Amino acid sequence: MTDDTTTDTDREHRTDDRDVATDGGTETATDGGSEPKTDGSGTGIVPPDDEVPTWRERKERRQGLARLTYEYFERSRREDEDLRRESTYLDRDVLAFPTWPHETVRNLALASFFTGMIIFLSAALPPHIDAPADPSSTPAVILPDWYLYWSFGLLKLGPLNPDLTILGGDKLMADRTYGVMANVVVVGIIAMVPFLNKGSARRPVEQPFWAAVGVSGVVFAFTISVLSVKNLIPIPEHLLLDLTFLLPVVAAIIAYPVLKAMREGYMYDLNRRYYRLRPPK
Amino acid sequence: MADEFIKGLGILTGAGLGWMVLAGWYNTPEFEGAQLTAPNPGTVGAFGEPALLLKEGLFWFAILGALAFWILIPAAQQARERLAE
Repeated sequence: MTDDTTTDTDREHRTDDRDVATDGGTETATDGGSEPKTDGSGTGIVPPDDEVPTWRERKERRQGLARLTYEYFERSRREDEDLRRESTYLDRDVLAFPTWPHETVRNLALASFFTGMIIFLSAALPPHIDAPADPSSTPAVILPDWYLYWSFGLLKLGPLNPDLTILGGDKLMADRTYGVMANVVVVGIIAMVPFLNKGSARRPVEQPFWAAVGVSGVVFAFTISVLSVKNLIPIPEHLLLDLTFLLPVVAAIIAYPVLKAMREGYMYDLNRRYYRLRPPK
Repeated sequence: MADEFIKGLGILTGAGLGWMVLAGWYNTPEFEGAQLTAPNPGTVGAFGEPALLLKEGLFWFAILGALAFWILIPAAQQARERLAE
């Protein structure tokens, strides 16, 4: 009985000690604690301001990469603080969200949304189901799957195949050969891009020119796909062909100055700090 | 500003979805032809008339709503800020 009482009392004392150490109230408790806190962060998620060294105090005497990292975090913390101060939203001092319930509820919401959208679309707009295929006759409309429309569109570039005077108005190659060569050209250009630009930019604003090139490529992928289904598009054929090659250029011409202008913004300054941390090119 | 963007995007996508469904019902006579953009059918019945009206309304709501939240309201706010200075 007596031993038990003693043990209980000891445990209580130890618990008290640990509580004091966690609170960080006194110097002796922190020094004599069973778990020394070498990182100076304390146990709470958000350390109280009065007992923990600030980022500045912690990193001030460091050099090199650690100092750059510190500068980045200090800068982003300041920006975040300023933004929070002028924002009208509720202030929440959290460093991350727990998986349950926050992330799970969010993922359930997203999954429910997309499942519901699939059900809604399949119910409201049931897909066209044609008569069973007749293997002995070619259908009027032949199309690959939608993600290959761009390649199919390149096969329809016959109007660009020049009639050469030197050949007496004949074409150097058949339209179908020309379309296949167009595929080679497009794939070749795409294969060359990584050799021209390494792609070290993390945001389009960092390299507006290459971002504009990318925009024109995406737009061209779309317009050439539209060209492949030109029989379904209520636009005259020659106009559609012109738009196929004009719209990517127009999109690039718009994207470049827009991205240039966006470099003035807040995020760009923050990112410029950030990619000083990267290894040199 | 992010609020105005998501309001405009929500209107554009939500109303656009409604327009797409109704246009798929009433303005897509066949697969191999103009889809969503065919002229309105002649006789649509008692449910079709308000549906076509709703389709027109959703179409302009999608365009004008996005235009309002992305261009008109931010422009008005900036103009007010400039005037206040």
